[in-house]
Amino acid sequence: MKPAMRLFSSLAAMSFAFTLAGCGGGISGAQAMTSAEGSQHGDFGPPQGEPIHAVLTSPPHVPPPTHRKAPAKVIVDLEVIEKEMPISEGVTYTFWTFGGTVPGSFIRIRQGDTVEFHLKNNPNNKMPHNIDLHGVTGPGGGAASSFTAPGHESQFTFKALNQGIYVYHCATAPVGMHVANGMYGLILIEPPEGLPAVDHEYYVMQGDFYTTGKYREKGAQPFDMEKAIDEKPTYVLFNGAEGALTGDKALSAKTNETVRLFVGNGGPNLVSSFHVIGEIFDRVQQEGGTHPQENVQTTLIPAGGAAIVQFHTEVPGSYVLVDHSIFRAFNKGALAILKVDGAENKAIYSGKEVDSVYLGDRAGPNLAAVSHATSAAASGKLTKEDQVKAGAQLFSGTCSVCHQANGAGLAGVFPPLAKSDLIAADPKRPIQILLRGLNGKVTVNGKDYNSVMPPMSQLNDDEVANIVTYVLNSWDNPGGQVTAEEVAKVRAAPAPAPAAGH
Amino acid sequence: MPWLRLLGNLWLVLAIGAGHAVAADYKQIAGGHFASVLPADEKAADMQVAPYELRVTPVSNAEFLAFVTKSTEWQRDRIARVFADAQYLSHWITSDGIDRAQRDQPVTHVSWFAAQAFCESEGARLPTWLEWEFAAAADTARKDARADPAWREQILSWYSRPSNSALAAVGGPANVYGIRDLHGLVWEWVDDFNALLVSTDSRDQNDPDRLKFCGAGAMSLRDLNNYAVLMRIAMLSSLKAADTTANVGFRCTKIGAGEKS
Amino acid sequence: MIRHKLMRAVAFLLVLLGTSAFALPPATQSNKLPSDSIYQLNLHLVDQGGKAFELRSLRGEPVFIAMFYASCKYTCPLIIEEIKRTVQALDEADRNRVRVLLVSFDPARDTPAALTAVSVEHHVNLAHWTLARTDPTGVRKLAAILGVQYRAMTNGDFNHSTMITLLDQEGRIAAKSDKTSALDSELIAAVGRTLAGQNP
Repeated sequence: MKPAMRLFSSLAAMSFAFTLAGCGGGISGAQAMTSAEGSQHGDFGPPQGEPIHAVLTSPPHVPPPTHRKAPAKVIVDLEVIEKEMPISEGVTYTFWTFGGTVPGSFIRIRQGDTVEFHLKNNPNNKMPHNIDLHGVTGPGGGAASSFTAPGHESQFTFKALNQGIYVYHCATAPVGMHVANGMYGLILIEPPEGLPAVDHEYYVMQGDFYTTGKYREKGAQPFDMEKAIDEKPTYVLFNGAEGALTGDKALSAKTNETVRLFVGNGGPNLVSSFHVIGEIFDRVQQEGGTHPQENVQTTLIPAGGAAIVQFHTEVPGSYVLVDHSIFRAFNKGALAILKVDGAENKAIYSGKEVDSVYLGDRAGPNLAAVSHATSAAASGKLTKEDQVKAGAQLFSGTCSVCHQANGAGLAGVFPPLAKSDLIAADPKRPIQILLRGLNGKVTVNGKDYNSVMPPMSQLNDDEVANIVTYVLNSWDNPGGQVTAEEVAKVRAAPAPAPAAGH
Repeated sequence: MPWLRLLGNLWLVLAIGAGHAVAADYKQIAGGHFASVLPADEKAADMQVAPYELRVTPVSNAEFLAFVTKSTEWQRDRIARVFADAQYLSHWITSDGIDRAQRDQPVTHVSWFAAQAFCESEGARLPTWLEWEFAAAADTARKDARADPAWREQILSWYSRPSNSALAAVGGPANVYGIRDLHGLVWEWVDDFNALLVSTDSRDQNDPDRLKFCGAGAMSLRDLNNYAVLMRIAMLSSLKAADTTANVGFRCTKIGAGEKS
Repeated sequence: MIRHKLMRAVAFLLVLLGTSAFALPPATQSNKLPSDSIYQLNLHLVDQGGKAFELRSLRGEPVFIAMFYASCKYTCPLIIEEIKRTVQALDEADRNRVRVLLVSFDPARDTPAALTAVSVEHHVNLAHWTLARTDPTGVRKLAAILGVQYRAMTNGDFNHSTMITLLDQEGRIAAKSDKTSALDSELIAAVGRTLAGQNP
């Protein structure tokens, strides 16, 4: 971490320490807190000043910090709208939404605020709805007091006693279906001192979706209850649609900036293994809790939970947000992009520097000739001598097992290669034999052999050419040279009918 | 010419009135053994549904118009606010006039009180939840299709369609009892809509808050997999007797039959 | 529009010609009831002494109204005691200006005798308290208009929500309470406002 970040995080840590100490009773500058139990220490007294209408934003945007120093009365107006929207290219789904989007509008208030919550159910909707905010202390999180029929509005009031990032969702029966249709969002209850400033704040929320059609099957897709109960999603998505945060809708930042992501998981079923490819989270408030963890690669976000992750950008590029249960990212759509623009920084990340040949287990010193031949061939300077030398090394590794190092073969079993009349009759025939193998009766140097030689399919064209060149130039064989191109032609030609032994 | 058009409208109004003189179609349902999603008592016992007569289709705008034409205290500009909210019959052109296209559509934006009054005018009442559920468990071939995932899926797909398109006319395909439009058209009032006793927060089904609901807790629902029925119960539980919405209509049951609620 | 007016005239003619017999009797036209008064409901009741009366006969004074049944063992006794405590908490002058109406969910079993037994058991002042029953349809309508939920069980008990409603002199709902374990100060305050003629 850069020195500035380190100082910053110590300052942040100190401010958290102050907040904690405040629970024990009386620190100067802190709000009126006594040694109250649990959430009660977030009760900063009655609201002050005129009521404020909360600024709600659509994803991926986050409302600006409240910059408040005292508890206020905040009025939140949220409307439920049932609407058909694309879930993937050419695929639509009837979503039930808070504020017309999936996830629903982002609500930002401060700890100690009194919220007067208005939930409206659009008269064109078919279903009753309510809301459970995980940041509410009270029965059902507000659900009991907000059950609303279409064309009606409900109101209830709560005090935000706990700071943190909280999920809200509809809790009308059947709850699973309401959540699966996209009825969730996030509410941020700022700590009294506010969150440290960053360059960008974004709102990302993962959800699993269940359709009767298959993944990317076109048309209007209905909800599939059986799949939802079996927890077998069709789509796993960030912000309610494939491509919601890719292409020209990708999140953006510049190099050398701090990015904070409020990441929620509406579920209904899956837990997320949230990871940003190419970045490490400098700071994670796991499960949205107050004490941060640092240097985290992948963080778990429970269904019905959220986390705050923060990182500093160093190097430009496209950083992919994924659920690292990786088939969800590549086969169900759990993929989003953060595009970072700016100057390269080769000291941090250089990009690809060298692309060289790697020969695996043949890269040892006794195969130097083979490496030499390979690079010579690559540069077009391959000589017969190079080929013979390389072929010799390859022969000893591959062929001498059966045909012996001196090419003598094994009487009655493996035919000889030394001074072979079969080779003399057709010097190109070894190419065929190496590529396709040899079955059945052959007569070499007056003796019959009836064995099976398998095709040497592990050899490439260069290797075949080098081995055959070596054999042709050894043990009184006719000589000559075979090129890789010739081998390639033979390989490409259709296999001849199995020849009768001659 | 205006007087000619007036005569035409007069004819329309007369025709509507005349239409209502024909008795609405009711069909006898024999009843029988039935596993309701809302059991009568905590032991989730099956119930015996007594024979009853159920209206074949939901009440249409034309039929309801004929009713308020006779019982003018149920017209939207005269009704007491305690019996219906401000959206009552808001989709009608006037308090006693409808569009030609609306004639055969199921009447909506009606409150429970208005629906009851209509049924009483036919010598009937709203069906109980059990009577409605019994008839609605059937499909075109079977008396009880509720275990069939395809049946549930079909109903669910209606719920997931947005309701911004015009309502279809009443008179869809009949189920095995000869009753039409129990699914896929509108939600329907029942007589004991306020007996469903589902907590407004549907997750505390078994909350033993004895002081909230006398008689050992709120109702437990059987068969939580049957989302189609659960959603209907949720919808009815969200309504108060004077509420009207764009998607709630009703039909009637002839008095003298049916399980006592 | 002229056409609209003529249409209304024609409709009116039709009403005159084709009035059917069953139409609900009109609400009292003299000193008109407010549109949101529950006394708009025609409800015929019989009290614990066997005397018949109309719901709207209670018009003129604030009323605590609740629903119960005689064989109820859980909350109904608590509801009755809560109302008694609430009345007792009022100023002495106000206590006599408030009426109480308890209506049974269970007309089949709650005969006038059964209702009288309840009134005796709880030592209620029958000068101000009425325990009554109506027909099953009336029970459903009264519960609907008050927002009370109830359901009959197979063993004869009733599953029902807890609610005490305060009606003002004109029958409008002035306050509601579901508290039975402690005095509801909001409810008491509402009585004061109602008696003073202020709308809550």
